[in-house]
This record gives sequence, structure tokens and C-alpha cells, in this order.
Amino acid sequence: MIRLQGVTKLYEGGVVAAHDVTLEIAKGEFVFLVGPSGSGKSTLIRLLLREELPTSGDLWVAGKHVNKLASWKVPLLRRSVGTVFQDFKLLPNKTVYENVAFALEVIGRPRHVIRQQVPQVLRLVGLSAKADRMPRQLSGGEQQRVSIARAFVNRPLILFADEPTGNLDPGTSVGIMRLLDRINRTGTTVVMATHDHAIVDAMRRRVVELDRGGVVRDESHGGYQMVSPVPDSYEEDDGE
Amino acid sequence: MRFQYLFSQTVQSIRRNPLVVASAVVAVLVTLVLVFGSIVVRWSIDQDIGRWDDNVRVIAWLGDDLTVDQVTALQADMQTWPEVDEVVYFSKSQALEEFRELFADQPALIEVVEDDPSVLPASLRIKPVEAGSYDVIQNRVAVIPGVQQVAAAGAEIDALVARSNRMSTFAVGILIVLGASALVLIANTIRMAVYARREEIGIMRLVGASNWFIRVPFLLEGLFEGIAGAALAALLVGLGHKPIVQLLSTVTDPDAIAVPFQFLLQQSLLVLAFGATTGLLGSALGMWGTLRD
Repeated sequence: MIRLQGVTKLYEGGVVAAHDVTLEIAKGEFVFLVGPSGSGKSTLIRLLLREELPTSGDLWVAGKHVNKLASWKVPLLRRSVGTVFQDFKLLPNKTVYENVAFALEVIGRPRHVIRQQVPQVLRLVGLSAKADRMPRQLSGGEQQRVSIARAFVNRPLILFADEPTGNLDPGTSVGIMRLLDRINRTGTTVVMATHDHAIVDAMRRRVVELDRGGVVRDESHGGYQMVSPVPDSYEEDDGE
Repeated sequence: MRFQYLFSQTVQSIRRNPLVVASAVVAVLVTLVLVFGSIVVRWSIDQDIGRWDDNVRVIAWLGDDLTVDQVTALQADMQTWPEVDEVVYFSKSQALEEFRELFADQPALIEVVEDDPSVLPASLRIKPVEAGSYDVIQNRVAVIPGVQQVAAAGAEIDALVARSNRMSTFAVGILIVLGASALVLIANTIRMAVYARREEIGIMRLVGASNWFIRVPFLLEGLFEGIAGAALAALLVGLGHKPIVQLLSTVTDPDAIAVPFQFLLQQSLLVLAFGATTGLLGSALGMWGTLRD
């Protein structure tokens, strides 16, 4: 489903955001990308979404050779994946329903499909009752659910989540993780970058640890901490 | 669904910033009023030239020693010149008759001419294909042996042709200078619209909206601004051109210089096409660099 082959990304000024990353993620897997701030978690996701091109190496996502993809095909790549961010990225002037429907409208889905799929996905994330609320009327956890609904409404094969619990308290985070787990159990591959030790340790899924752009650990059923020392202080920073 | 969506995006965008949109529309309006106006004025000058055109003749006064054969040969030769439309032989007696008509109120003059017919020589009256090319003919005729003198009513035509050309230059100048400013103003409104929607555009990218889907509302907005300005300009010139044309024409009869509706319509379509092009180019310019893939 996802394959990286010797992927390196250098930024100007000699920053190594990814160093010779080779990684394979099978369909239906749930993978945590962990590591300190600036270790390259977000960069990997940006590379997989073709928001950036690697300096060298190759990436494949959902059967598409990402770094060789013609620019007009990039939207097709993004339709086959869903993405969730720490800051939700909801449109403040649209209701919950409209925010989710927007994702289908702008890829030209017919109205009857939208009318059918949006309520369905809102039910999945548990927000049917709040479909007409504006984002500012929702709690952080609810806003993140809307953002997950928007990412999942088109039934993507892969869901990327970049620090989805970064702005949420632990209790709320658990709810979001349950939701992501549920989505994973429908067969969707989930790749989640996170700092959250507790979540990683509790879920016991595959863990890919990055340090200074390179993979230092790849362990199925792993915990947050294993090989590399992690700073004592809890990191709130999202990295990029 | 798609079109409706794209169209509603455009309408929203225009509503969001009506003043900026208005400034772009006015820029197009002013540009095209001046351009369209000078096209119409030029048309009326050309009508003036046209009236003169038909009556422009280069007159080659012939020496009395030329034989009829020589004159006929000369006439046939001139007829082959590319800038010559028609050559007519005007005999001494015809010249005298014309003179009598022209100076009917001055019998003393007529008497003088009648006493000495050699004062009025025979002539070839040459009609140019284009009034403006009379001087070419004049120069060629002047060097022909047997032609005593050449005359043409040149200065008046020159003045009209020059005025017509000035109008064209003016129109082109306006088109370039003000057209460029209108283009930049439209580009600016589009850039502001893109900026206002940057969050939305970011999300559209994220969920896989195609590049065209993102761009079309902005192209439509530019198109709207261009066409709105052009339509207003066409309307303004269509309704208000008369006094200006009358002011600038040598003809006083207003009916003679009434610009035909078909001409106005034709030029209006051109103006609209130009407005539309400016709008599309302007929005392309505005999106340049801000809406990359």
C-alpha cells in the first residue's frame, strides 16, 4: 500500500529531514511514526502526499509512484488518501455538515452521493446531532472528529494523521484513537505521526521510530520508548 | 452540480469585495470607452475621407504639341499603373465648358479664356485607387514629357488621412497603456480573492480537488470583470458617441455622419471580446505563482 525506497529529503541549509528511509506498509496496517521534534515525521507525510518532492529515492502510495506522478494526477493521489492534522483545518464559516460535504463537492461528487455519504460518516464519528453546528461551537475533540469525518468521507484506502491528538487532552485523545482504530478495522491503512507516549504504549501497534530523518527502529506491537532515549519533558511541539 | 458550485464560488468572491471588483471593472470601462470612442471617431473621419476620395483627381495638363495618338498611348499607359483607377481625357472644349460653369458669375474671366483657348489646355484626369496615393501618381506624371503641369487637391486629403492615422495611433496607445493597467487591476482583485480563500484552497488541495476546479472560479471572476467593463463601455459609446463625432467631423449634416448600427454592433462585439480576454489574462496573471500545483 505504501512503499518508500531510499528516500532522502534535504532542505536548504543542510537540514536532513529524511535520510535514506526505506519502509513498507501493508494494506490494513496501523503504523505509528514516533520520534522527537524535527525527526522527520511530518516530512514523511508531506512527501507521501506529494506536498514535497524527495531529494532522492522513490515513494509509492496506493499504487501510484508519488515522486514520478504528473502534476495533474496529484489530485487523484490525494483523493485516494485522507489526511488529518493537529490543527483540524476546518473552515470556520461552514457548518459541520458543510465542512464534510465540502470535501466531496470540490472533487465533483454528485449531490445524491453527498447527501448519502455525509450523514453516514457523521454517524461513524458520532456527530450526527451536531451536523448544523459551527466549528467554534464544538470542543477540540469534536472538531477533530469533524476533520476525521472529512478525511474519511470519500472512503480513502489510507488515512494519514499528523499529530491528531496534539491539541487534545488525554481523555479526549482516547476517544480519537478509538475512532481511528475503528476506521482501521474497516480495512483502511492508518499512518499516524505522534509524540504521545501513552497512546503508543497503550495501542501496541507497529512503531516506526525516526531520528534526524532516519529510521532507527521498526517494531510490530512496539511501545514509544525502546532504543533511542526520549527527553523527559513531554513535547508539545509538532515538529515542523 | 459542478457548474453551479463553481458559479456560486465566483458570485461569493465578487460579493466579498465589491469595491475592488468595481475598480477593476471601471479600469476596463475607461480603457474601452476611449478605445471604442476613438474607433467610432476614426470611422467618421474615414467617412469624410471617403467623400473626398471619390472626387480626388490628379490633373495632368497636356502640351498642345501632343498628337491624339500620343495622348491615347499615354492614357493607356497610365491605366496600367497599379495606383490608378481610371484615366479620363478632358479636351480643350470640355475644359472651357467646365470653366464657364465654375466661373459663371465672372463673365470677364470667361471672356479672357474664350479669346485665347491656349490658356486652357487639354488634360488627363486621373482617379487614384486610394485618395492617399495621389502624390505617387503626381510624381510619376510630372516627369512624363509632354505633360506641362500636374495638380492635385492634396493638402486637405493629407490632413484627413493624418487625422485618421492619429486616431488609430491614439487607440493603440490607449489600448496598450490603459489596457495594461486594467490587466494589472484585475490581476490584483484575483490575487486578493485567492488570498481571502487561501484556507479553503488549502483544504481543496488536501482533499484532491483538481487544479482546474480550484482555478475556474477565479477565471470566471476575471472574465466577469472584463466583460462587465466592456459591456458598459459599449453601452456608453453606443449611446453617447454622437456629439463627439459631430464635433470632430467636417460635415455638418448629422444624418450623414450617423454611425450605422451594424458597425457599432460589430465593434461592440470586438470590444467585448477584448474585455473577456483582458479578464482571463488578468486572472491568470493574478493566480500566477499563488496557485501552484
